[in-house]
Formats: sequence, structure tokens, C-alpha cells
Amino acid sequence: MLELIALSKRYGEVVALDGLSMAVAPGRIHGFVGRNGAGKTTAMRITLGLASPDAGEVRWKGRPATVEDRRSFGYMPEERGLYPKMTAFDQIVYFARLSGMGAAEASAAAAAILESIGLGERSGEPIERLSLGNQQRCQLAAALVTSPELLVLDEPFSGLDPVGVDALAGVLRTQLDRGAAVVYSSHQLDLVERLSDEITIIDKGRVVASGPVGVVRRSRGVDQLRVALEGGWTAWAENLAGATVVGHDGDEVVLELLPGGDDQAVLDAARSAGRVRSFRREAPSLTELFREVVSS
Amino acid sequence: MTMTRLAVVRLIAGREIRERIRSKAFRISTGVSLAFILAVAILPGALSDDGPTTYDIGVFGAQAERLAARLPVVASTGDNLAVDVRRLADVDEGRRLVESGDLDAAVGDGKVIVERELGFRLGFLVQEANRQVVGEAALAGAGVQGEVAGRVLMPRPLEVSALDPESEAEADRKGLVFVGTILLYGQLLGFGYWVASGVVEEKASRVVEILLAKARAGQLLAGKVIGIGVVGLAQLVTFVIIGLITASVSGSVDLPAETISVAFQVVGWFVLGFAFYACLFAVGGALASRVEELQSTTTPLTFLAMGSFFAAITTGGDPSGPVAKVATFIPFSAPMVLPIRVAAGEVVLGHVLLSVAIVLVSIVAVMALAARVYAGGVLHLRGQLKLRNALRAGRGDEQPASAG
Repeated sequence: MLELIALSKRYGEVVALDGLSMAVAPGRIHGFVGRNGAGKTTAMRITLGLASPDAGEVRWKGRPATVEDRRSFGYMPEERGLYPKMTAFDQIVYFARLSGMGAAEASAAAAAILESIGLGERSGEPIERLSLGNQQRCQLAAALVTSPELLVLDEPFSGLDPVGVDALAGVLRTQLDRGAAVVYSSHQLDLVERLSDEITIIDKGRVVASGPVGVVRRSRGVDQLRVALEGGWTAWAENLAGATVVGHDGDEVVLELLPGGDDQAVLDAARSAGRVRSFRREAPSLTELFREVVSS
Repeated sequence: MTMTRLAVVRLIAGREIRERIRSKAFRISTGVSLAFILAVAILPGALSDDGPTTYDIGVFGAQAERLAARLPVVASTGDNLAVDVRRLADVDEGRRLVESGDLDAAVGDGKVIVERELGFRLGFLVQEANRQVVGEAALAGAGVQGEVAGRVLMPRPLEVSALDPESEAEADRKGLVFVGTILLYGQLLGFGYWVASGVVEEKASRVVEILLAKARAGQLLAGKVIGIGVVGLAQLVTFVIIGLITASVSGSVDLPAETISVAFQVVGWFVLGFAFYACLFAVGGALASRVEELQSTTTPLTFLAMGSFFAAITTGGDPSGPVAKVATFIPFSAPMVLPIRVAAGEVVLGHVLLSVAIVLVSIVAVMALAARVYAGGVLHLRGQLKLRNALRAGRGDEQPASAG
């Protein structure tokens, strides 16, 4: 279990973190969401010991994280980087050894991880000769080679095409299955919603929402009703008593229930206007929630 | 999976050594330096086998025969001098042959014709021969001839008695120290620059953020300096050994114990000098964020190294002069100046020890400075950093995150 407890950090006048707390449990994947400059990278760097907090602490397995703990964490920084002239294999071995592995163990682990990400045959080539996609895979291999108990990934999905996203999601699933705790940041909120067990949304260095994805989605805002009538008829929804139209999505009209509003009354209104083809009530999407909490 | 600090430094140094030796830059620099050393080691021996300098001299006019007789005699008294004399029809032939380069000089009728100028050795030859011809005629007119005239015209040369002659070994040693100083300067600057570019490459490629998650900035710095230093030291020792063996085989120098001691001094001063310069170069690297910025962040250092090299050259000419004395106690120049002064026997042991102490203290100081600037500057990945800001950031150990 990784716990960030009341982390605060200032850079001169800039407040990067303001009492941020969050926790990541083994076998769980935690999405970390916030606008640019919200403090995600700073929180991750503090977790890895690259920066030290002005206040608060990082705990691992119930005690303050040590240098050795941090060295064992797998880390993929947002600013990707490997030695361009070093071969993929040598590079992964080097990072494995810096994480504390012995020479033979590191070689075996590097060969295995490169094989598993499909770079087995190209492991002897310098990084600069690999495609960007393959360089990105190597970067991931560097973070995974020691089978760390905690993976900290800063924007791991940025720059990946949909196939790459699925492949990385698959790799992360494997890591979760073996019991690793994963925390990652991303701007792709639909992806975060789909992939994460828990999420933390931060704004200006403070947590504004945190918890299991479903709980967070229901914690704020109001539920939405999505109604589609045959023929795409939508004018019926204007000027309803218990709900207001917030948008249209194809044939669907999207309504927000007002406090005290009754979804059944909306359904009745729809039925009296025409033939209802679909009617759904759902919590706001993460994207909508995010917009709401970071702009308030 | 615990690791001692030393083990981390060893891993980092090991990577530097492996990757540097594999690099194309290393192979090229080794090849160029070896060519230079072999040239310096072989050439003096090869050139000194050329034997005496032979001058082609034409004679004309009334005294042509007498001059032709005197020139070889004068040449025989000179140092490695020989002469090839030709008799010419007249002054015009002399002018023509000197112009075409067939003759070095044409002498007769009280004048000498040369292409550009009468050099010292050629001047000695023709003036002395002319003096003897004129003197012979004058003596003969006064009734002095034969052996007496010969003794007047060509007295026995003065016997030289040097109180403190420069031995051949000493001359060899001075030459060696000079070559050694050039090598030392090249290694200090070349491998120092590698430290700076190594630091900035890790920043430019962003790999440094992963490294810093695994090792402290001080360990990264120490590993890099030690790794590159070991490569530089190994290369220098190889150069010295190959140079000395080649020079002794080709006959350029003898290899007495003194020569070996000069070699040890040059190598020893490399170790101290490198530790000093490498830490400062690391500062230059930490202040830049792209290779292009290195030039401006390392320029002051490069100038100091060049100034020190010129101080060393000056010291070579005057090992006990004011420049030599001052440069002995400045950490930038001491590594290059001291081998020269010690080889010349122009510095007392106390001053050598004091100089070593000054350099050692300076190393400790620049290491502390470098570790702090490195820690402060190494995560500064965009734009050039001011030294003051790096020091301030080094106190807090990090830079603001660029995003998130």
C-alpha cells in the first residue's frame, strides 16, 4: 500500500501541492487526474524521491518510504528518456541493476521483459535506431523489469494509438494480476474511467474528488437522463418541470434532473410526446464531473 | 535488494567505462593522439641520423682557387658541416646558379651572392674562408708563411669547460616533460569535456529522471567522473608506455630511471588535475540543458585551462620565473606546471607538497560545489540555468516539475 499523506510543496510563490493525500492498494490501479500544473508530476516525483515535500510524507507498507523502497519502484517519467546509443538490452539490464538486482538476475529479467513486449529480436540494437513506438515500449520495460510492487507512470498513454493503448492496458492488467499497485496520470478521461479501480482528481495541488470510479461519479453533480423518441423528436423536453435539457447526443436528448425532480414524470412526458425507444438514467461521466469540479 | 552507495557508484562508473570505450569518439581520439605520440617519439631519433649539413658553394674571381681550398678546411672545424665547392666562370654564372637553387651561395671578388639571406652557419663558412684567404695573402706579403701562418690563420679551437653541462638525460627529460604536458592538457580538457557533455546528454535525453529515481545526484556525479577518469587514465598510461617504448627503440631518448619518474608524475598529476577539472566541467554540464549550450557554460573553464597551459609553456622556458612560481600554487595550473618544474629541478619539495595540498583542498571544494549544482541543475531540463539559481535549487535538491 502506497500512502501519500498531506503532501505540501511550494516552488517560490507557486503552490504545487497543498495537503494532498491519496492511497494506492496492491492489485489496484489508480488514475490520477488534473489539469496541467495541478501537481500530478510533483506528487509522483515526491513519491520517487526526486523532490522532497515541504510537509507531509510518503508511506510504503505502513512506514515511511526508504531510499531502498523508492529504488525498487517502477517509474516512467512524463519526459521519456533512454540513452540513445546504448542497446535496449544493456539499458534495461543497467536500470535493473540500479534497482538492486544482481548481474545474472538482471540479464535474465531484461531478456524476459524484452521478449514479452515483442522486442526480443531487436534487443541488441541501439535505442536511437528503434521506432518511437518501440522506444516507448523499452521505456515501459525499464519500469517493469524488476517486477516492482509499485508502478508510477506519468502519462503512460500519451502518444499511443488505440492499438498501443490496448496493448499497454493489457500489460498493466498483467501487472495488477500479480499484485502490483499501479498509479498513473492521464488526460484521457474516458480511458481513466474505463481502466481505473480508483481515481483521484486534483486541482491546484488539492484533492477535489477521490475514490472508486463509480462512487466518485455519483458523489457530485446530478444524474442525467438520456431519452430517445422514435423519429428523433426532442421538442417535448423543453420546459419540463423537474429536469432541464443540457444537450443532445444523436437522437438522444440529455436532461439533468433538478433537485426533487422525478425521472418517472420525465418518462411520462416523453411517452405522451411519442414512442420512447430508449430511456436511461446515469451518473455524469468523468469528463463532465472533471469539468465541474475543476471549474468550480 | 539493498545496495551500498559504493556499489551504485561502481555500477554508474562501469557503464561510463563500457560505453565510452565503445564510442566512435573514443576510438578516433585514441588514434589521433597515438599518431601524434608516435610522430613525437620517432622523429627526433630519425632526424638526427641525417648527418652533417652540406652546403653547395660556387667560387669565382681572382681568389677562386684559394677559396676553394679553404672552404673544406673551415667546414671541418664546424659542427656537422660539409661543403661541396664548384668553380664558376664568372659572377654571372654564380648569380644564375644561386637563382636556380643549384648553389646555396656564390663567393668571389669580395662579395657573396645568396638567394635571400646569409644564414648563421653558411655565413660562418664563407666569411671565415674569406678571412683566411685575405689573411694568408697579407701574411705572405709580410713574409709570414707555412706553419706559423697556419697557426695564425687557424688557431686551435678553445677548449670548452662547462661547469654545469646539460646532460643528454636532462635534455631528454625536458623534452619528455614538454610532450607530457601537452598530453596532460589534452587529456584534462578532452575527458573533462566528456564529463560535461555526458551530464548534458543525460539531461537532453531525459534519462536523468529515471536515474535520479534510482541513485542520488552525488552518486551519479561520482560515478560519471570516476568512470570517465578511469578511461582517461588508462588511455594516458597507454600513451606514455607506447611513447616511451617507441622513443627508446627509435633512439630518440634513453630510458633512465629519471624518465620513468617523469612519466609517473605526469600520470599522478592527471589524477589530481582530472578530479579538479572534471567536477568543474560537471558544473558546466549541469547548467546547460542542450549540447549546444555547453559551449557557453564551459567557456570560462576552457579559458582557465588554456591559460594554465600557456603558464606551463612559459614555465618550460623559465622554470624558476615568476609565472612558474605563481602557477605552482593555483589549482588550475599546478597540475601542468609542476611536472615541468620538478623535472627542471627548480622547485623545493616543500612547495611541491604545498601545491599538492592546495589542489587536494580545491578538489574537495569543487566536488561539494559540483554535487550541489548538479543536484540543483540536473532536473532543470529547459534552457540555460544561472549558477546562482542552481545553487539555490541544489539546497532544496530539486527543480519545479515542468508539468502536472
